[in-house]
Amino acid sequence: MSKVVGIDLGTTNSLVAYVKDGVPFVIRDKGGDALVPSIVSIDEKGTVYVGREAQRRLLTDASRTAYSVKRFMGKGLDDVRGEAKHFPFAIGGDAVVTIGLGDKAFTPPEISAFVLRELKRRAEAYFAEQGEFDNEVDRAVITVPAYFNDAQRTATRDAGRIAGLEVLRIINEPTAASLAYGLDKKHSGVIAVYDLGGGTFDISILRVEDGVFQVLSTNGDTHLGGDDIDNLLMEHLGTGYGQDVRKAVIQAKWDLSEREETTIGGRTITRAEFESLIMPIVERTLGPCRQALADAGLQPSDIEEVVLVGGSTRIPLVRRKVEELFGRAPHSDLNPDEVVALGAAVQADILITGNREMLLLDVTPLSLGIETMGGVVSKIIMRNSTIPASGSEMFTTGVDNQTAVDIHVLQGERELVEDNRSLARFKLRGIPPMPAGLPRVHVQFQIDANGILSVTARELRTEVEQSIEVKPSYGLTDEQVEQMLLDSFEHAEADFAARMLIEARNEAETVINATEKSLRDPDFAAIEKAELGDGERQKIESVIAGLKMVMGSTDRETIQKWTKALNDATQHLAEVMMNRSVHAALSGKNVDSL
Amino acid sequence: MEARSERNFFSFLGLPRKLNLDVADLEQRYRALSRQFHPDFFYNASPAERRASLENTSYLNDAYRTLKNPVARIEYLLKLEGMTTTATAAPPSLLEEVFALNEELDEIREARANGASADDIRVRLERARKPIEEKRDAHEQDLKALSAKWDAAGDRQVLESLRERILERNYINNLLAGIEKELTA
Repeated sequence: MSKVVGIDLGTTNSLVAYVKDGVPFVIRDKGGDALVPSIVSIDEKGTVYVGREAQRRLLTDASRTAYSVKRFMGKGLDDVRGEAKHFPFAIGGDAVVTIGLGDKAFTPPEISAFVLRELKRRAEAYFAEQGEFDNEVDRAVITVPAYFNDAQRTATRDAGRIAGLEVLRIINEPTAASLAYGLDKKHSGVIAVYDLGGGTFDISILRVEDGVFQVLSTNGDTHLGGDDIDNLLMEHLGTGYGQDVRKAVIQAKWDLSEREETTIGGRTITRAEFESLIMPIVERTLGPCRQALADAGLQPSDIEEVVLVGGSTRIPLVRRKVEELFGRAPHSDLNPDEVVALGAAVQADILITGNREMLLLDVTPLSLGIETMGGVVSKIIMRNSTIPASGSEMFTTGVDNQTAVDIHVLQGERELVEDNRSLARFKLRGIPPMPAGLPRVHVQFQIDANGILSVTARELRTEVEQSIEVKPSYGLTDEQVEQMLLDSFEHAEADFAARMLIEARNEAETVINATEKSLRDPDFAAIEKAELGDGERQKIESVIAGLKMVMGSTDRETIQKWTKALNDATQHLAEVMMNRSVHAALSGKNVDSL
Repeated sequence: MEARSERNFFSFLGLPRKLNLDVADLEQRYRALSRQFHPDFFYNASPAERRASLENTSYLNDAYRTLKNPVARIEYLLKLEGMTTTATAAPPSLLEEVFALNEELDEIREARANGASADDIRVRLERARKPIEEKRDAHEQDLKALSAKWDAAGDRQVLESLRERILERNYINNLLAGIEKELTA
């Protein structure tokens, strides 16, 4: 069976995890590294670099390197204009932000798809190495911040599709973390998960009972995280927003979690100075915590355990403030970077096996409503409703023989349309012609277990199913996603070809080096005379020259042909050299001295 | 839609149409039914089964959310018994309070416009809020007593009284929200 993995698609780093024999683990690269930096770089030739390689290119080719793209998911250009100065890449687009890398513009889901493809590749390489019969990874559970709205969730699912993954489920990061925590302890009680990552903040309050992880409430800020701390530090230093400065402040931030002071560019900064600088950011997380408690109908003292997730919770001030609020020390026995991916893998395993031991019941973070007369929002599904959730509303016509009705769907807590997030505009068509006010169109809004909305409608007098035309306010249409999937196949092919070419060149180089080493051997003249046939050396030399000539080309097959020719031409020589060294070893002579 | 009109939140959770319920029991029923219906367990099922799972779970979540809250529970029961709970005008029994409060709010707004101190306004608003809050507390007690009465006899007369109390209560909450708005203004 093909494999189903759990993926934490983070602002700063991404991870992939898998459950084997009931135990979740993070899949690492050969060097033991679990994190794939969520960075994508594309050079002039169109070669795509992802992860550490792309991260290195931040310092050499920043304008062609995209990072923190999660902050742009499901956003329009107007939403992100204010922070564009912090990024070295070009930000454009309109209803959907685009990121320019060189001469090509990508949407955030496309950039994220490069990261997802890298994770997929990593997992597939791991399964192949384990000798798994079927190592293909074609399905995944992907995590998102709990406070992500419909557009951001949909963008994440689109990214999965573009990467060639069937996204079985979108789950919330804090909930995923609780699932990973709940594994080893069969506990019950009320827990708070405080998740401060690179770009987003979430707080979720859960009740755990009989293996059911029931989210009572959630709140957060999808634009608050470690990135903001870095930006603040850069502003404080006043040395610009270059990538070298960014790298230095991130290092300083890490240092200050361990030490009382550190230096950036020759300037000393103390932890106290750092803490007073970032205090406003940490304070901004406390309001959502209080709101989540109020929504759950709980006092801080009702919380029995506090779990920390996300790299930014390593900052001592964050820990102190969380402890102050809940009146108990938070625990973080699991690696805060890895716990979300582990939880996603657990959820993937539940979906595949149908194991009913554990069940996650999550909520929708934002109320869903529709625009009514006077620009006021009428709420249909309240925030913190357990999902799946549905709600319905009756519509009618205002004019005789009207056959279509426009519906504007919004997400948010404010009363006025303009203060909420526009999700989509629907046009109900095919209403049978009737006098005004007579049609009764029942519109059903369904939020699925991913927290994503779908809408169906039916006219009750005639039982006519209405067709619905959806125009997402900040998203891609299905056709656009399909096109991106096709483009990405071409890209993937180009990518694959580039890799193969590099490998072919490497192999050619290895063979040339080995051969030239033999030819330079001090004993070569003697060997040639005693063992090699007429013109054998000349043949080898001419093949080396030929291979060297084609090596610079991009024609992989020709390079491979010449490499094979060199291998064939040197086969006899290699055997002779081998025999000599064996003979030398048997006669007690040092091989190296040959 | 037809199938839906036959079932209701009480029957779906295997509960009698009563107003006093054991919350721990409700939670346990909710978890058990979630385990039965949740889409997580129907990933490999047929499209029809998946649709049913989604629909049942959505209905279950709605039922649980409604019945868990005592006031929503009463409102739901009233609706089930064919009574509307949307208020149109101020209930007659509250006219006196409404009148007094509106007068006081007008005076407070005027005082604010004339530059009264924030503390002063706060004190006056809190004083105006007190009798309304007392009224609401009295209503809570009434609702409890009436709920017990309904559970014992299933009397429609009791439902009518419950409906009046709920309408008054909604109105009181609107008044309190109005005061809250002035407080944060």
